[in-house]
Parts: sequence; structure tokens; C-alpha cells
Amino acid sequence: MSSKGRQAIKFVVPEAAISVESLAKSFPPARSGWRTFFQPFEKPTAVALAGVSFEVREGEALALLGANGAGKSTLLRIIATLLVPTSGHARVAGHDTIHHSRQVRRRLGYHAGTDHGFYARLTARENLLFFGQLNLLSRSAAAQRISQIAEQFQFGEALDRQVRTLSTGTVQRLSLARALLHRPSVVLLDEPTRSLDAIAAAEFRRFLKSEVMRQGQTSLLFASHTLAEVELLADRVAVIDAGRLLACDAVSALKRSTGASSLEEVFLELTGRDSSGSTGERAL
Amino acid sequence: MSRALREIWLFFWRDLSIARTYRTVFVLEAIEALFGAAMFYYVARFVDTPALQNALPQGGSYFAFSLVGFVFLDYLNAAMDTFDRGLEEARDTGTLEHLLITQTSLPVFVAGSAIYPFVATTLRIVIYVAWAAALFGFPLHAANWLAVSAVLLVTLLAFSGLGILSASYLLLFKRGNPAKWFFLGVSSVAGGMLFPVSILPDWLQVVARLNPVTYALDAMRASLLGGAHVAALWRPLGILLIFAAVLLPLSMSVFAWSLRRTKITGTLTHS
Repeated sequence: MSSKGRQAIKFVVPEAAISVESLAKSFPPARSGWRTFFQPFEKPTAVALAGVSFEVREGEALALLGANGAGKSTLLRIIATLLVPTSGHARVAGHDTIHHSRQVRRRLGYHAGTDHGFYARLTARENLLFFGQLNLLSRSAAAQRISQIAEQFQFGEALDRQVRTLSTGTVQRLSLARALLHRPSVVLLDEPTRSLDAIAAAEFRRFLKSEVMRQGQTSLLFASHTLAEVELLADRVAVIDAGRLLACDAVSALKRSTGASSLEEVFLELTGRDSSGSTGERAL
Repeated sequence: MSRALREIWLFFWRDLSIARTYRTVFVLEAIEALFGAAMFYYVARFVDTPALQNALPQGGSYFAFSLVGFVFLDYLNAAMDTFDRGLEEARDTGTLEHLLITQTSLPVFVAGSAIYPFVATTLRIVIYVAWAAALFGFPLHAANWLAVSAVLLVTLLAFSGLGILSASYLLLFKRGNPAKWFFLGVSSVAGGMLFPVSILPDWLQVVARLNPVTYALDAMRASLLGGAHVAALWRPLGILLIFAAVLLPLSMSVFAWSLRRTKITGTLTHS
């Protein structure tokens, strides 16, 4: 095949924004007392992820839907290069999270869904300037981007206040702003509305939909167990339970394939839980 | 290189900005330094005798000898404490993960976290010595400042490796600083901080000769009190540089390995 032909094929098959292949992660058992000295060297036995595979396309929003402890955060933290998988691969724009972690981090924005992770005695602007410059923005470019993003996120009046004086909702916005400062092509959100009240959460979702995903250039992978959030934001949903990927498709296709009328029913049907949340025998 | 320096400057700017929000701490530390210098002056007046002065390596007063030992201890403490304290703070405030997913490399992250505490410690020592000189006659007339600066820099390099090893221990086991405990414990007896090593029993003198703190203190006193030039300090400086050349790369490798272990065990943010 000529080199021209090879280029044409590359163009037709773009690299997935995120690609996860047979990803497995186990943790060593938690220890206390003198046994903690052996914990870093213990064999991992507690399974958090058991061979998960999926892809997120460029500009796509994929939701990870699962109960607490399903493995959503573990998956996100592996992609964010904060955890090393036991086996399998995770790639961002074709770069392996272990072997090319720096290239991966260059493309990533990560919002852990908490109001931690800032220097409480620095102002919001100082915090953003610091993290923005560590992500290779010049001081002037970072300053300009902060003003722009603060206007979009509607926290301009909070920019020159110390972070310790800001409300949880504002710090959440700040955290999302930090994740987006360097214009990453992939954004990871771990239960982004976890600590927000209903109104702030709705506003946050509206903001994500209208400001972050509007341009269609940013791929979004987010974990949630808020069904309304998933339905509003996600192009596709990956249902995870006990570290296993049960299904990954558009909400409408999931409803069709399970015969369910709502996403909640889809989740219960796929995970074999009853409506109280406990896992029981699946109803036939 | 310029990018690394720029990033180290960012860390310094961050810590300076945070420190500026605690302005009274500067004032309190300056007052504490005054009391510290006064304490050493009066202890020295109580114990100083011509015989004691003759036993001191550079001669002079016990006040000058012990004050240099004490401020040096402060420096050593900073070199060994800074890395794990910075790491602990980052872990507890939740900034550690966010720092690790930036483009900053691990060596820059480690060096950047230490730069402000080192500068602040230097400033504290300057205040200590300034009080001692202004109020209690600490002899500064003979000091060779270039040699003093060289000794301080080489000391920081040499002992930072131990600090980074302590930070690695903290990453893995979450609490404690055994390197500091062991090293400062040994050095307080067999390092020549508050008394010359010549008064120790023979076997402890052997320990002192194996201890790099002894060389660093000798060099510091020789340059600050005796006015020794850099060239005259080649032996202690050389020993400290060898110590740094071995320990710094080793400690960075151990730190990187420990960080990877915590990413495997999932305990990066555990305290």
C-alpha cells in the first residue's frame, strides 16, 4: 500500500479519545497496627475492576453508572494516572496511562467531585494561576483564560477571595474550571454534583451541558449515580456493577434491549437488584 | 531547564503567598530567635572557662560555638523535615492528586515543595545570628560569607537526600520520620553540635568521623568563625558532595518507586 493510502486509512479511523481494554484492578487488603508495614508489599486480593473494556469517542459524553463501590472512581483514577492497573490497558488519545503518563496528563482535565484540593488561604485566582501554569500555560495566558472561564462559570466575584471563604458550590465550579483551564481534550468527572444541593447541582449540570459540551470537542467521561444527570449529559451509558461492565450503549438502546421504561429500571434489570437497592435473585 | 526553574519558582511563589497570610508568624519567630540567642549567651557565660575555650576547635567563646551548632541543627532539621511535611500537607489538603496530574515532573515537584522552607529557614538563621551579633557580641568580623554560603548549599544538598527518603517512608507507611529520628539522634551526640567531638570516647569519635554532620559543622564553624576560604574547606565540602551525589539520585529513585507502590496499592491519598 502506498504511503498516501495509509494516510487515508488513518484519517478514516480516528484514535478514540479514551480506550480501555480488559482493565482489571485489585487492591491489597486493608491492614491495621504493625501489619500496616507489610501492606505496601501484600498481594492484591480485593477486586475493584474485573476486565472492563470500552471506548469514548472524540466529543462524546460517556457516563459510568453504578452503585457505591462499583469501581467507577477506580476506573477514573486509572485513566487520570493516579492508579496503576493490575492488568489491561487504558489509553488517552492513544497514549498508555502507564508508559506515557505525561502525554496522557497533558490531554486530561480531572475533577474529583469534592471541594478539596485547593490552597485554602490563597485566592481562587491564585490557585487557578498556580495550577494553570503547572499545566504549561504562560502567566498571561492563564490570567486571560481564568477571566474568560470565570465569566462563563459565573464566579467572577469570587476570584479574589480566599478559597476558605467560598461556598461548596463555588469551589466545585472552581474545581471544574481548573480541570478545563488548559483546554484538555478529555475531561474526567467523578460524581461532579456529589456535594451540591439540588439547585446548585441542576445549575452545574446546565453549565456542563451548555458551556463544556456545546463545542463538541471535549470528550467527557463521568461517574454518577444520579440518573437525571446521566440522562441529561450522556450520549452513552456504561453500567458497572462489582467491577464488571454490564452494558454500554445509548439510554434509548439500553431501554430497548432490557425492555425497561426508565434508566432506573435499566439499572435494576442489568444489576439484578430490587428497588430497595439490594442484590437478589433476578425476577424472571 | 528554564521550565524547571520557572516551575520551582511557582512553588516558591505559592508558599510565599500562603506564608504572607500568616504575618504574625514572622514577628513571633523573630522574637523567638531573640530569646534563643539570649539563652545560648547566658548558658555560655555560665559554663565558659579559658580551659573550655582552648578545647574548642576554632577557639573563641562557647557561645559562638554552641550557637553555630544550634542554628546548624535548625538547617539540618529543615533539610530532613521539609519534604515529608510538604507531602503530608498536600495529602491532607487534597492537592497532592491535583499536583500529580499536572505536567510537573517528580524532581521538580520535590524540589519545588522544599524551596520556600529552605529560604525561610535561612532567613530565620540570619535573624538568629543578627540578634546574637547585635546584642551579645557574636563574632562576625572574621566570617567568609562566600564560604558560609557554599557550606550551607552543600549541606542542604547532602541532607535533602535523607529528607526525600523520609518522604518516601511517609508515602508507604503514612506516619513517622525514622531517618530524621535516627540521624538527628546520632548527630546530637556524635556530630559536634553543642560540644567538640574530641571529648567523646574513642568509639564514638569513630561514629562522629563517619557522620557527615561532623564535617558540615566543622566547615560551617571554620568559615563563619574562622574565616576559612572555600579552597581551604575542600575536604569537608568534598565529603558532603560525595554524600549528596550518592544520596540524592538514590532517594529520588526510592521516592519514585514508593509513589508507584502507592498507585498500585491505592493508598496515595490515605493518611
